[in-house]
Amino acid sequence: MIPVCPLSALPRGEAVRVEGDVPIAVFHTEDGEVLAIDDTCTHQDASLADGWLEGCEVECPLHASRFNLHTGAVDAPPAKRPVRTHQVHIQDATVYVTLSEDEPNLPPGVSAGSVGAAP
Amino acid sequence: MTIIEKKALPESLIKTLPGSAYSDPEMFAREQELIFEKMWFCAARSADVGKPGAFKTVQVGRESILVTRSRSGEARAFFNICRHRGAQLCTEESGEVKRSFQCPYHAWTYDLDGKLVAAPNLTKMPDVDRLEYGLRKVAVREWLGYVWVCLAAEAPPFEESVMGDVRTRLGDIESIDHYGVENLELGRRITYDVKANWKLIIENFMECYHCATIHPELTEVLPEFADGFAAQFFVGHGAEFGEDVKGFTVDGSEGFDRIPGVTEDQDRRYFAVTIRPQVFLNLVPDHVILHRMYPLAPDRTIVECDWLYLPDVVASGKDVSHSVELFHRVNQQDFDACERCQLATNSRVYADGGVLVPSEHHISAFHEWVLEALQGTD
Repeated sequence: MIPVCPLSALPRGEAVRVEGDVPIAVFHTEDGEVLAIDDTCTHQDASLADGWLEGCEVECPLHASRFNLHTGAVDAPPAKRPVRTHQVHIQDATVYVTLSEDEPNLPPGVSAGSVGAAP
Repeated sequence: MTIIEKKALPESLIKTLPGSAYSDPEMFAREQELIFEKMWFCAARSADVGKPGAFKTVQVGRESILVTRSRSGEARAFFNICRHRGAQLCTEESGEVKRSFQCPYHAWTYDLDGKLVAAPNLTKMPDVDRLEYGLRKVAVREWLGYVWVCLAAEAPPFEESVMGDVRTRLGDIESIDHYGVENLELGRRITYDVKANWKLIIENFMECYHCATIHPELTEVLPEFADGFAAQFFVGHGAEFGEDVKGFTVDGSEGFDRIPGVTEDQDRRYFAVTIRPQVFLNLVPDHVILHRMYPLAPDRTIVECDWLYLPDVVASGKDVSHSVELFHRVNQQDFDACERCQLATNSRVYADGGVLVPSEHHISAFHEWVLEALQGTD
């Protein structure tokens, strides 16, 4: 389990990006759910934590593909592949994430561990 | 030089600016830089950017400016240029975005406060500060129901410059407060594409020597205009409606209910104000007319004219055509005259300019102001 942040640091309607081999985005929806997906859009290198959260979907800030935060499924191109979803636990008012063991669907030019390095 | 030009002017006459001041591209470029990009500029009607994400793009001096409204409801203005490679961000004159402005070239994406919120590979560039590389901001004020912008690094105090011009003309600020202009609504907008220099339009608006000749309808409603002294000649003076005139309409027929705050002293009178460098305001008991000029070239100025009425007049769909028609005719008559003058600005006979008669002498203060501004000392 990866500790993310105190729940109080993640107000409803906001998201946080967790750096790592494959960065994760954790969202706190307006309905009070806390959900985690891969942060990088599967179409092009963009941070979904910077995207637009609506209900339990996030719209990529660059080209408007929408990902379902429960299933990782994408609604419409240009992104075609889903993002992974990750299990969220809240213990002692702290948000934790258990990473999926599936292979991530990263966009061209991005590989696990490459994020944060110069292109 | 001819002998005539060497003669001293008779006392009754004062020189205008030379003809080239109205046609020289270099002079116009300096005006763009030192007047329109330095002063407060009335850019858009607040209601035209009424909700978050609604936007207008306007030409201010040499720059394209993007005027919009933030999620918190505040007016915002930015240089309409992507901070990445300089592509123009919005090419439409107006529109509405949901929550961000995105450059169509590389998809750099800015929120309604101008902050850079996303770009391809942005997370690989953690050293790129999202505020520093946000859209370049322009100073903004909302007043009279309009968004005013100032491109200067340090905007002059709004209370002194914009409101100062109103105070100078009307004598105080309360006089305009009575009209509650910010609460009025748009009844009609007419846009004029005038083939004349912006200064000719200002000068025309400042004097009434021409009124009896080219404004028969206006002079009928405001008989004192026939003597050639404009409302703008005196401080705090409003031209009185003619005895038989019921309202400020094309045929003197009845207008609408008086705006509640308008005082007895202001009733049945017409007040006019020039707010330098590009706004004209007409105040009558039942409506307000606001002109915004957008100077585009030495010989081309777009004038957007709004007729503003009490909300219930607009909501009930009352016929505003009689009151609109009066000043629409005045505008057409004035702009035709300005275009006629523009044609002569390159003539050898007008190289030294023309002359101002006593009822126009106050225009020379405007000329002095322009010349002083162009020295960059104002």
